[in-house]
Amino acid sequence: MKQVLKLRNLKVIFPTNYGIIRAVESVDLDIHERECVALVGESGCGKSVTSQSVMRLIDSPPAITRVDTLEFDGRDIKDYTPKQMQEIRGKEMGMIFQDALTSLNPVMTCGKQIDEMYIRHQGLSKEEAREHTVKALELVGLPEPRKRANSFPHELSGGMRQRVLLAMAFACLPKLLIADEPTTALDVTIQAQVLSMLRNMQRGCGTALLLVTHDLSVVSAIADTVYVMYAGKIVEKAPVRELFSTPHHPYTVGLMSAVPRLSDTERVFTQIPGTVPHPTQKPSGCYFHPRCQYATAECKKEMPPLKTIDSNREVRCHHPLSIRGVSHA
Amino acid sequence: MHKDVKNRTPILSMRNVSVNFPVKGGLPFIKKGVIQAVSDVSLTIKRGETFGIVGESGCGKTTLGNAMIGMVRPTSGEVIFNGKNLYALSREEFKTTRRAMQMIFQDPFSSLNPRFNVYQIISEPMFIRGEDDDETMKERVVELLELVGLSADDLYRYPSDFSGGQRQRLGIARSIILNPSFLVCDEPVSALDVSIHAQILNLLNTIQQQMKLTYVFISHNLAVVKNMCDSMAVMYLGKIMESGSSERIFKNPLHPYTQALLSVVLDTVVEKERELVVLKGDIPSPINPPSGCRFWQRCPQAMQGCKTIPPESIEIEEDHFVACHLVNGFPDVELPSNYDQLVAEKPTRTHSMH
Repeated sequence: MKQVLKLRNLKVIFPTNYGIIRAVESVDLDIHERECVALVGESGCGKSVTSQSVMRLIDSPPAITRVDTLEFDGRDIKDYTPKQMQEIRGKEMGMIFQDALTSLNPVMTCGKQIDEMYIRHQGLSKEEAREHTVKALELVGLPEPRKRANSFPHELSGGMRQRVLLAMAFACLPKLLIADEPTTALDVTIQAQVLSMLRNMQRGCGTALLLVTHDLSVVSAIADTVYVMYAGKIVEKAPVRELFSTPHHPYTVGLMSAVPRLSDTERVFTQIPGTVPHPTQKPSGCYFHPRCQYATAECKKEMPPLKTIDSNREVRCHHPLSIRGVSHA
Repeated sequence: MHKDVKNRTPILSMRNVSVNFPVKGGLPFIKKGVIQAVSDVSLTIKRGETFGIVGESGCGKTTLGNAMIGMVRPTSGEVIFNGKNLYALSREEFKTTRRAMQMIFQDPFSSLNPRFNVYQIISEPMFIRGEDDDETMKERVVELLELVGLSADDLYRYPSDFSGGQRQRLGIARSIILNPSFLVCDEPVSALDVSIHAQILNLLNTIQQQMKLTYVFISHNLAVVKNMCDSMAVMYLGKIMESGSSERIFKNPLHPYTQALLSVVLDTVVEKERELVVLKGDIPSPINPPSGCRFWQRCPQAMQGCKTIPPESIEIEEDHFVACHLVNGFPDVELPSNYDQLVAEKPTRTHSMH
C-alpha cells in the first residue's frame, strides 16, 4: 500500500504568559492509501493541533513548530510556501470540522461554496461546477439536491450541514481527508448516518482518512488503525480490532471502560480517576502515572519510550498490560 | 442496583401538557404558524426515582423539562408537583414551591457567569433567597464544593480556571445549594469528553442517594439512560412514543423508534464488519408535524393507516406504555384495504394484541 502521509517527530510549542505549553511532543504518524486512521484522546491532549499541523494550519508565531519529516503523497511539504500549501489544501487534502455551522459561510448559499471548489481547483465554469455540485450533494444523500444547493446554511439541519461539508471535502477527490470530531455535535441517529456516509465515501473514493475524536465507540465503527494520545504524546498505536481486544496501555483501558454500554447492568460507571494534567505543569516521568493504578517508582521518574510489540503495535508504558488486562507483561 | 420504585408516591405528574411556540416572521404582528414543541404529554414521576427522557434534538425533551419546573408555561394541561398545580399558584406560593425544583444545564461553558468567582456562582441562589450572612454562605459553599469533589481552595477562582468536567461540578453544586427535592438534569454530560462522563454520572448518583433527590435525566444516549434511570419516556416530535419502567423497555423495546435508537448506540466491541442500522432522514419540522403517527415518514415498518390515524398510548404490560399501531393494532375506524396483508408482513412480536 502506498503511503499517503509520513510524519516524524512533530513538536508544537505555544509560549504563553503562564508558561510554555508543549501541545505536541514527538508525534509520528503514518497513513496509507484507503486507510482510516483514528487519533483518540481527551480534550487538550494535542490531537487537533497534530491534525492541523499536518495541513500546516497552525500559525507560527504564536506557535513554534518543529518537524523532522512531513511527507504527503511522496512529496516533502515541510518547507512549502503558503501559496504552495493552498494548492494542496482542499484539492489533495480535505478537512471536515466539528461544528458545521461555523465552518460554512453564513451569507453564501451552500451550493456556491461547493462550486468554489470546482472553479478554484479544477478550473470549471460556473455552470459546469453547479452540475458537479448537485451530483456531489446527491451522492451524500441530501434530498432535493438542486433545491438545497440554493439554501443558506442556517436553513439546513445539523446533519444536512455536515453532509454539505462532506460533499465539499470529497469534491476534488482528495488523497487525504482529516475529520476533526465530525459527529460530536450531532444526535446519535444522525451520527450513525454521517459515520456510515463517511465510510462509504472514503471507500468509494479511495481516500485516506484521519479521524480525530475523543469517543472510542466512534472509532470502533469506522477506523482501521488507532493512535491513542495523552498529554501531547502517543501512548498506544494498534490496529483497531487488536486494540479493543487486548489494550496494552492503562489509559486505553480507562478510555474503553468509560464508554457507557447497553450491556452494562451495574449502576456504577467506570471512571478514570483525576483529570488531565495542566499543559504547563505536566508531571515528571510518565505523564499518566498520577492517574494510573499500576504506577511504580520507575513510572514517576522516567518517561517510558514507545516500544514496538508484535510488529504492528506500539505502546508507551513501563508495564504494559498483558492480554488478560490485569497482570503485568 | 435499580431501586424498587413501584410503591413510591408520585412527586410530579403532568396531565395533557402541550407547549406551543408562535412563529413570527416577515411583517410584525403576523403569526406564521405554531411550533408544537410538546403535545399532549401525560406522565408521572415517582419520588426518589430517576426518570429518563430520550429523543433527538428538536423532539421537545428540553421544553418538557422546562415545563416541569415552571420555566416555560404550558399552553394547556396541568403540572402537579407535590399535590399542587404549579400554574394555579399565586406568585408567592410559586416562588416557595419552585425552590424545591432545580436544574443542571447542558453546557457548563455558557451556564456559568465568567465574571463571578466560584463563591459568587454557588451562593447566588442563597443570596437571592434572602441570605445575607457571608460566613453562613461560605460554610455552606465549602461543604458543597467538597461534596462535588472540589476544595475550599477553589473558592475565589473563576470558571475559566476549570476544565469542562469541573465546571459541570460547579453547576451541580449551585443547583443543590437550596436542598431541592426535584432536579432536572438537561443533558448534563453531552458537552463533556467521554472519559469524564462516568465521573459526573457517578457524582449525580451519589448525591441522589445522600439527598434523596428525584431526577429527571434528559439525554440522547440510551446507554447512559439504561444505567441511570428507573423509568423513562422516549420522545419524538413532541409526543411520547414509549414509556414506563426502563428495565422493561430495554428488555423488550416495542416501538420502531426505540429500536432504531438502540441500534445506533456505538460500542467498543468490534464485530466482523459492523453495519450501522441507519434511520433515514431528519426529524421533520415541528411547525407542520406529519398527520397520524408522527414517526411514519421515517418508520421502517410504517403501514397505510399510520399516515392518518394517530396511535393511542396503551399499556402493553405492567408499567410499559407504547403508542404504535404495530403493537396496539388500529382502533375501530376504517382500515386500509390491504390491511391484512400489511399485518401479515409485520415481524413477530411477543406482546402483539392480535
